[in-house]
Amino acid sequence: MNEKARLVFKGHLYPEAFVEFARHRARRLDIVLDVASADGEAVNVTVEGPVDLLDAFEMACSLGPYDCLVLDVVRTAA
Amino acid sequence: MTTGNMWQPVSLSHSIETATSAGTRLCGEDLVVWRDSSGVAHVWEDRCPHRGMRLSFGFVRGDHIACLYHGWQYDTGGQCQYIPAHPDLEVPKTIKVPVYLTEERAGMIWTTLAADAGPLTVPADETGTVPVQSLYVDCSADAAIAVLESMTLAPFSAGRDAETTVSVVTPSLYSVSTGQDLLLVGIQTITDERTALHVVISGLPEVYEGGGQAHFLSWALDLRYRIETPPKKTFAVPAHTVAEAL
Repeated sequence: MNEKARLVFKGHLYPEAFVEFARHRARRLDIVLDVASADGEAVNVTVEGPVDLLDAFEMACSLGPYDCLVLDVVRTAA
Repeated sequence: MTTGNMWQPVSLSHSIETATSAGTRLCGEDLVVWRDSSGVAHVWEDRCPHRGMRLSFGFVRGDHIACLYHGWQYDTGGQCQYIPAHPDLEVPKTIKVPVYLTEERAGMIWTTLAADAGPLTVPADETGTVPVQSLYVDCSADAAIAVLESMTLAPFSAGRDAETTVSVVTPSLYSVSTGQDLLLVGIQTITDERTALHVVISGLPEVYEGGGQAHFLSWALDLRYRIETPPKKTFAVPAHTVAEAL
């Protein structure tokens, strides 16, 4: 069963690198990703797909690419 | 000169037993070679899409190979079918390992990194093959072939004075014949500076198993020694210098 969630990744981010990383993971997990905003402090996305895959996406992006440091993730229903 | 887009052997067939896997490299690409429980060989990228663990460290169960790290299971097409941490999840089709064309011929497992490489042109085994050895040497494929072409082979089946003939079957397969005996040597380009030579006897197991294998293993080890030991430089010494020394 699909769910839709809003995720905000906060930390010290290179927005281009982080968004590219997020898009790659979303493609791999076959979930829908919409990037609402991205800057050096936060990346705000909406994702839609099976809840297990949304969990996997959140976990992968909480680690992020090697040049980004994610300090906090806020997840809310979208 | 061989490339990853050409068919090359990546293992002797007998080296990959049913329900086992092994890692190798072809032109710098890490590959897993594994054989499912029905005996079919597969060659894939040696990397689990989840966390990058080598699938060659994994377990073969039936017609699946499972990653050692988190147990993700892949079917013979490379498609992930089961994630133990999410047993109810219908795994997305995007979670798939790149797979390569695979054939078994001449007692070796062959693959190519190109999806459009065309059919393997190695002739089918007519008389059977008997494995000898896979040799791993630190040199280019061209350098190994140059030494191979200079080798002589003592016959096993008959007389000692037969001539040795080395022929190209395909760019990655050479035949070495003497008298009634025929060896096949598959060339695997691991990297530009590392090469594997897979040696088999073309012939009936009842003729060559045991004594024949030992005979040609000795030749194979001599081949490896000659590849790894470049000819020593010699210097001409004037006769009068020798006379003075004496």
